[in-house]
Amino acid sequence: MIWKERYKIGVEEVDRQHKELFNRLNDFLQVVRSEEDMEKKAAEIEKTLNFMGEYVVVHFDSEEEIQREYNYPDYEEHRQTHERFKQEIMEFKQEFEADKCNEELVMEFSGKLLTWLIHHVAGADQKIGEYVDNN
Amino acid sequence: MQADYVNPIFKAANDVFNSMLQLEVSRGDLETNDNLVSTKEANISIGVTGDLNGSILFSFPEDMVLDIVEGMSGMEMKEIDTFVTSAMGELANIICGNALTTLNENNYNCDIVPPQVLIGKGQTVAMSTEQVLTINLETDIGEFDLNISIS
Repeated sequence: MIWKERYKIGVEEVDRQHKELFNRLNDFLQVVRSEEDMEKKAAEIEKTLNFMGEYVVVHFDSEEEIQREYNYPDYEEHRQTHERFKQEIMEFKQEFEADKCNEELVMEFSGKLLTWLIHHVAGADQKIGEYVDNN
Repeated sequence: MQADYVNPIFKAANDVFNSMLQLEVSRGDLETNDNLVSTKEANISIGVTGDLNGSILFSFPEDMVLDIVEGMSGMEMKEIDTFVTSAMGELANIICGNALTTLNENNYNCDIVPPQVLIGKGQTVAMSTEQVLTINLETDIGEFDLNISIS
């Protein structure tokens, strides 16, 4: 299982969304890394990518709203990180649309995405939890 | 001078391994070499530009990178493929990015170049110094090397 209890930040709504986000990432990775031919799995990759990409936006909006509510001091920096991440997903989507059978491209994006998301949730997002807890 | 950049890089590696993988990193042997050459199977080279110039080469054993990516993804990794190297490349990128933040706070104005992956031992990376500093780092799931050629 990709989600781990230690990723929790102690804010119920954010933890619930993180869990859902990791579940969607899990579905995406399962499709990406299945043994099927790329021609066969391209449509499924696109579907799970869209599904995950949409949820990223919902989650980031909600997380930023909580930060504004608590006057989180690193709000702007955190928001910019979210924006860069959304931009990377969009750029990958465009590359993928143009070359749907390029398995290396999908593998490269997926590996980076996995590390990035864990780093963000296990690192930067934990600080939100600590701040909310103390305020 | 050397401690100015070695300590932030080591601290960043320890912090990132700790928060992401729940692993402690401890320093083992430190040695100097004449060449910047990969010492293990999975290697990531990250260029540094600005006030400090050169390269940092992370050298990981195969078992260790497979373990790390399996731990993060919850999926079995049988070999070093593009997914594994990309996940590890981003990990090295994050470590160097964090080290750079500390260096910038210490008035070294630097930037990093996106990671390059090199598979296999004995791969050579261009050097910007006469000697390379190799730090052996130990964790519960294996040892890896940080080869630093920065001036």
